[in-house]
Amino acid sequence: MSDPSGSAADKSVQVKLVLLGEAAVGKSSIVLRFVSNEFQANKEPTIGAAFLTQKCRLEDRVLRYEIWDTAGQERFHSLAPMYYRNAQAAVVVYDITKGSSLEKAKTWVKELQRQANPNIVIALVGNKVDLVQPSASSSSPATTPEPEDEADDATATPGEPSAGGEPESLRQVPREEAEAYAQEAGLLFFETSAKTGEGIVEIFTEIAKKIPIEQILASSRGGAGRAGAAGGRAGAGRTEGGVSLEENGSKGKDACNC
Amino acid sequence: MARNEDRQLYHYTCQLDPPSDDLFPCVKVVQLTSLRPTADLFCSLLRDALKAELLRGQMKSVKGFVKTCYSEMLVASGNEEDDRDGSVAKAESMAGNSSDSMYLGGLGLKFKFPGDARKLREASKTKLWTTYLKAHGRNLSLVRYPQCTRLVQVGLPNRLRGEMWETLSGSIYLRFSNPGEYERLLEENKGRTSTSTEEIEKDLHRSLPEYPAYQSEDGIGALRRVLQAYSFKNPDTGYCQAMNILAAAILIYMSEEQAFWLLDVICDRLLPGYYSPSMHGTLLDQRVFESLVHRCLPIIYEHFMAVDVQLSVASLPWFLSLFINSMPMVFAFRIIDCFFCLASQIASLYDAKSHIQTIAILKINGEKLLQIQDDGGFIHLMRDYFSSLGASAHPESSDPRARAITRFQELLLVSFREFAIITDETIQAERRKFRGEVIHSIESFSKRSAVRNLKTLERFTKEQAGSIYDALFKAICIEPPPATVLPPPSLLTTKENSEERPETRVGLKTFKVFLSEIATWARVEKIVSNGFQQRAEREVAEHEFIDRLFFFWDTNYRGALSFQDLVSGLDGVMFNDLMENIEWFFNLHDKNKDGFLTKDEVLTLSESLLFIFRYEVGDAYLGAVSRFMSNAFEYGDALLPRPEGADPNSEATTPIESNQPYINLATFRMVVLADEILESFFETDFSSTFKLEPVPMMDLPPSHTGLLGSLWTTITSDDNRKILNRFTDEVGKSIGKHQVLYRPAIGKITALEEPKARESLLTPTMRRSTSKASLKSAEDILVPSSFSAPANLNLSEPTSSIPSAEYSPMPTMFEAARANAAALMERTPFAIDDAKDDDEDTEEDTEGEEDDVMDEVDAFLEAHDSGLSAAEQELAQDLIHAEPVK
Repeated sequence: MSDPSGSAADKSVQVKLVLLGEAAVGKSSIVLRFVSNEFQANKEPTIGAAFLTQKCRLEDRVLRYEIWDTAGQERFHSLAPMYYRNAQAAVVVYDITKGSSLEKAKTWVKELQRQANPNIVIALVGNKVDLVQPSASSSSPATTPEPEDEADDATATPGEPSAGGEPESLRQVPREEAEAYAQEAGLLFFETSAKTGEGIVEIFTEIAKKIPIEQILASSRGGAGRAGAAGGRAGAGRTEGGVSLEENGSKGKDACNC
Repeated sequence: MARNEDRQLYHYTCQLDPPSDDLFPCVKVVQLTSLRPTADLFCSLLRDALKAELLRGQMKSVKGFVKTCYSEMLVASGNEEDDRDGSVAKAESMAGNSSDSMYLGGLGLKFKFPGDARKLREASKTKLWTTYLKAHGRNLSLVRYPQCTRLVQVGLPNRLRGEMWETLSGSIYLRFSNPGEYERLLEENKGRTSTSTEEIEKDLHRSLPEYPAYQSEDGIGALRRVLQAYSFKNPDTGYCQAMNILAAAILIYMSEEQAFWLLDVICDRLLPGYYSPSMHGTLLDQRVFESLVHRCLPIIYEHFMAVDVQLSVASLPWFLSLFINSMPMVFAFRIIDCFFCLASQIASLYDAKSHIQTIAILKINGEKLLQIQDDGGFIHLMRDYFSSLGASAHPESSDPRARAITRFQELLLVSFREFAIITDETIQAERRKFRGEVIHSIESFSKRSAVRNLKTLERFTKEQAGSIYDALFKAICIEPPPATVLPPPSLLTTKENSEERPETRVGLKTFKVFLSEIATWARVEKIVSNGFQQRAEREVAEHEFIDRLFFFWDTNYRGALSFQDLVSGLDGVMFNDLMENIEWFFNLHDKNKDGFLTKDEVLTLSESLLFIFRYEVGDAYLGAVSRFMSNAFEYGDALLPRPEGADPNSEATTPIESNQPYINLATFRMVVLADEILESFFETDFSSTFKLEPVPMMDLPPSHTGLLGSLWTTITSDDNRKILNRFTDEVGKSIGKHQVLYRPAIGKITALEEPKARESLLTPTMRRSTSKASLKSAEDILVPSSFSAPANLNLSEPTSSIPSAEYSPMPTMFEAARANAAALMERTPFAIDDAKDDDEDTEEDTEGEEDDVMDEVDAFLEAHDSGLSAAEQELAQDLIHAEPVK
């Protein structure tokens, strides 16, 4: 589908990426937005982990993200090493309306830095910015312009009191604070909204830029062709009906067009 | 009850007459073929059980209870409409007419059941079940015949499903015997919040969101109540994601109360450990599953190994949510039907089933699986397969009947036919095999993360911190800390609060156990010999010193210590040099932190020292503490700021109140350094009483061939052991052979040279309290008496009992020391606990002492001659004539 010729598949670089973070911060929604450009208001919690793939073009290279979307609840923590082993990139997500989720994110970062692949590229992502933006203003220009008609007007975690009054008052994690931490710990930093799509693509673009692609190619040479073949089939299984990168690509973004 | 004699086998026929005909209009006949005693026993047990049941008076509640069961109504309607189709419509009109028919049902009654009723052939299934239930009992009294299993495998009718799940899993009995429990749980915990309730709130709208009921308050409310009630009932398990999906699924078919009990049975008995905080059940079953795949489908397994794909990446969610969110719901529910049906009293059968199912899935997809190259491909293949379960399994077949077989039917067929070999026993055996491994990996994982989450390692290495964690973990196992009390719900969630990560904190009780794993003086290790056996015992010591340490380390005044507190606390003492240790000890006892010890505190400090020294050999330490006390008071008095104008030489100084500041650190240091033993204690010995390594098993001389040696080895349970120990102790005491040896905390002084007390700097008033002789006598007594234990008699090398040299008879140092302090170093003879060979501290009479000991050995040997072999007797003779070991 998105990858019609076999030669292109050969060129694609597989990047294993894992999403970590507290429960209900929007990990699955970020992936869903990236992979299918969709948003579901009430996404079922991830049990164990979910697996999705998406291709991404960076300059002349095609990256194939293999995304492991893990369960957020604390007790699934012990399963996480199974998913982040050999990962080249990690997206650690927190909810900007929930202070404790940043703390959890920090422990994930700490764990990754100590136990995961030493060259792992880590991105810290503060999700749900739509909750703190005035509802009147449209979402940021980075968003894919397709309007998503959602029943909800926000990605508020179900069950929590819905956003009322001053939207900015919902914010518990100041951007500056998280950014400073990210800088200190050497992480990429983003604030996003899986609901509006704001900032989602950028995460994966910046990760793609930062990943030592040549190194991955060198290490996986020989296995790449085989993996590509399997990936083609796998991609057909999942991303059907989703957003094809190449088609959807001309949004004025220079690098990764998802 | 009738009985037919048939040679040795008796056929017992029990007819259980229904208590009232309208309640159980069926008669049950149980035929039992067995040996007569067995049959008699069965009958009497049955009779007793039935009587007990009647006495409990629960029979009365049966009538009301069964009205909540749909089956009753089904049968009632079937009775009247015998020749017509026992259709659902008819049953429902019955329900509308009769006022007392109030069967419980799930959300499905209002929001429709998933699937097409016609396609599922609801009517004919219901009819079949009506017939079965009429013939073989229902709800509380269902008897399961093979036909029942077959009917379940075809799929349960929607309206009956909830009740049958309840009946098959056994949760109906819990609901029956705990009426009102569910409402009570909710009522009592109304408005309570906890981590679990917070997590539940997050997931309420995310549980089967496509099912209409879960888009309305009806469904959400029911789901919330069921999950919360479970978390209140089982605070240890609380709430685990996947439980929401499970609960949402069963709530479609059953009422809240039914769902609550079913959830309880699933989480506690059918899938033990699946949803616990460590998820050990899940991890264990993943290992078991992998091993079964290895056995049953070796080709697939090897392929997966070759391409480095982990099976559990896909199978873990299946197991956790029972396929509910992996397969289309209609099929998932049929799998659950089978699960509950096979969930017998032995819970693991259920697991066998889910393993079988999963292996069958792999088998059916075998060829495709062999082409898979990575995790992703595997997951996609499985997802495609599940979504096509409704499709024909043989679309190419020319036979229309073969084409009609869906993939789902094929799956069930393969499961039950080909993998029936995977039995309960197989699973159990596999689980046993992997249990240790899984537990170990969980433990090492939580250890690593606990160590990682420390704010600071202080001066410890990671391994040392790991050892501290091990000791803490062991202590928690032995003495579980009280359940964490959640702070009262507050409307204001400040940032500081939310940053607080929940962590394990231990109370004083657990702390004592913890400390006993680390510090030698915080445990009592003793070897008890009573003439019959010799055994090592270890207990947790109790002393005010330990309590003091607990509160000293509790720097945040929480009344509980975290792992970090313990690490920091140990850091504060384990790396100290002489001066730091003295200061640390001083601060520990300076309660108000004013830099002065009061007189009372000096006494307490001395008691602490005595506590640490309580089992040291000889009385050198006792002497040191006594000197410390007298010096401390002397220095203290001498250095005391005197009221101006008072005569410095006057004896009549104003008396110092016991609670007034008395000596400061410098004075304390001076006093300590005045004594060689204390100096050495603070320089190295005290720090080295903390050991960050597993406490070794106490080394007994490796022989249990005493009188009761063989008996000993056959006693396996701890209880039995305790009883035997108590018994032999009593006997030992009565024949005067009871002896207890304690291991000293420091154990440095085992040699005969006694460190000399330094002369006091101020006044040479100190009496030389401890003499060489007394120490020597203690040694002399100890060694031969340990030889006298029968357990040692067959040792070829007497030297192998050296470990016992570490043990010393327990002097009751406290009493002795108090007396000392009071009577200004008047020596009091101190008694040895229970021991016959009293450690009489007569300072000169060592000769007589030794004689006594030898007499004792004689008597001892004579008393036990009968149990000795010739060789042992010879050895014993040798021992008697041997020189006492010096």
